[in-house]
Amino acid sequence: MAGVAELMGAAGMTLAAAEGPEIPQIDEFLPPEILFAGTPFAMNRIILVRVIMTVVMLLILGISASRAKLIPGRWQGFVEWGIEYVRDKIVYEVMGELRGKRYVPMICTIFFTIFFFNLCGIIPGMNIAATATIMMPLIFAAWTFVQYWIAACREQGLISYLKQECTPPGVPFPVLILLVPMQLIDILIIRPASLTLRLLANMIAGHLIVALCFSATQFFLILTENKLMMGAGVVTFAFGFIMTLFEAFVAYLQAFIFATLSTVYINMSYPEED
Amino acid sequence: MVTMAEGGIDLFLPKSYDIFWSAVILIVVAIFFYKFFLPKFQSIFDERTAKIEGGMAKAEKAQAEADAAKKKYEDQLNNARIDAAKIRDDARSEATHIIADARTKAEADAAQITATAQKSLESQQQQALVSLKGEVGALATALAGKILGNKLSDADVQSTMIDSMLDELDKQGAGKAAK
Repeated sequence: MAGVAELMGAAGMTLAAAEGPEIPQIDEFLPPEILFAGTPFAMNRIILVRVIMTVVMLLILGISASRAKLIPGRWQGFVEWGIEYVRDKIVYEVMGELRGKRYVPMICTIFFTIFFFNLCGIIPGMNIAATATIMMPLIFAAWTFVQYWIAACREQGLISYLKQECTPPGVPFPVLILLVPMQLIDILIIRPASLTLRLLANMIAGHLIVALCFSATQFFLILTENKLMMGAGVVTFAFGFIMTLFEAFVAYLQAFIFATLSTVYINMSYPEED
Repeated sequence: MVTMAEGGIDLFLPKSYDIFWSAVILIVVAIFFYKFFLPKFQSIFDERTAKIEGGMAKAEKAQAEADAAKKKYEDQLNNARIDAAKIRDDARSEATHIIADARTKAEADAAQITATAQKSLESQQQQALVSLKGEVGALATALAGKILGNKLSDADVQSTMIDSMLDELDKQGAGKAAK
């Protein structure tokens, strides 16, 4: 990882020196603090994007909700479709209506927020996903983590849950020596970490690819004098265009995966039906 | 500019302000979804379901009412038909009755008129007979007197006598008719 980063950094420096295209850097995800620098509530570019997107999302959904009528218009129908999608296709599909009812608000919050934040990556002017720093995915993962432990203690008790997760029936004793630590690591670390890293890495990689395509396009079409490079610019632009559309899909897909896995993890805390 | 190695690891080390703003935003959006957005839409969904169910119940009620009203009207129509048939039958029997009565009365009247006419004819005939008898007698007497009075000398006299008798008869007949 570090080696690759070093290589990229070195390549970037070299190309920049050679007046090549500007290669997007890892430290774009660690931008300088621009507001309240040095305080615990300092803001960098990504956090500013995150706060702005929060306000935009609350305005859009808030106005939709306050204007909601019995007979829905086109927009309200679309918003309702989104809610019913999360409720029916994610929560009820995984855990059924009886268990799922109490988790609909939580999964809706996770799905809509992650989806809106991911979309920032392809909104001109923002150009970076609001979920592209470690804390935003991590805090959603932490919420899921807390919820599935609470559900475990409430529904079957801690001991019963640990027994269910760590010692599946029919596994011989020697295997348990290996299995129990693995399962413990899974429910304590792997589940929240995988939720966090999957989302974060997707957003970072998506931004790097799209930024690389457009910076190359900029270089080939405008900055360079060599007209033969124009063809390459067209190709990189087309690829960037496609990747932008793909990022829109990834924005939804990652929100869907995060929401679905959260639901699955919480559902696994419930006692298995015999 | 940090070196890329440090940057790579730093990606996964949360900054304190990142923790702060993520937490603030999570709390804000969670409160928004829990307290406002979803309850609002849930109430809309519930209201809509209630309205649709209410509408269905109402439609069913209306249908039942319409069926009842239709049945009522059909019953009324049947009753009316029965009444009409009854009235028609009554009228017909009454008419038959009236016609029969009228016929009976007419026949009786006719019989009476016939009888009266017969009686009148008979009495007139009787009268005619009586009167004829009397006149024939007088004529015979008159004729005999004339025959005897004119000596009956020749055929001319006889003829004249008969003619004058016939004239007399005619006169008397005409006078009788005029009378």
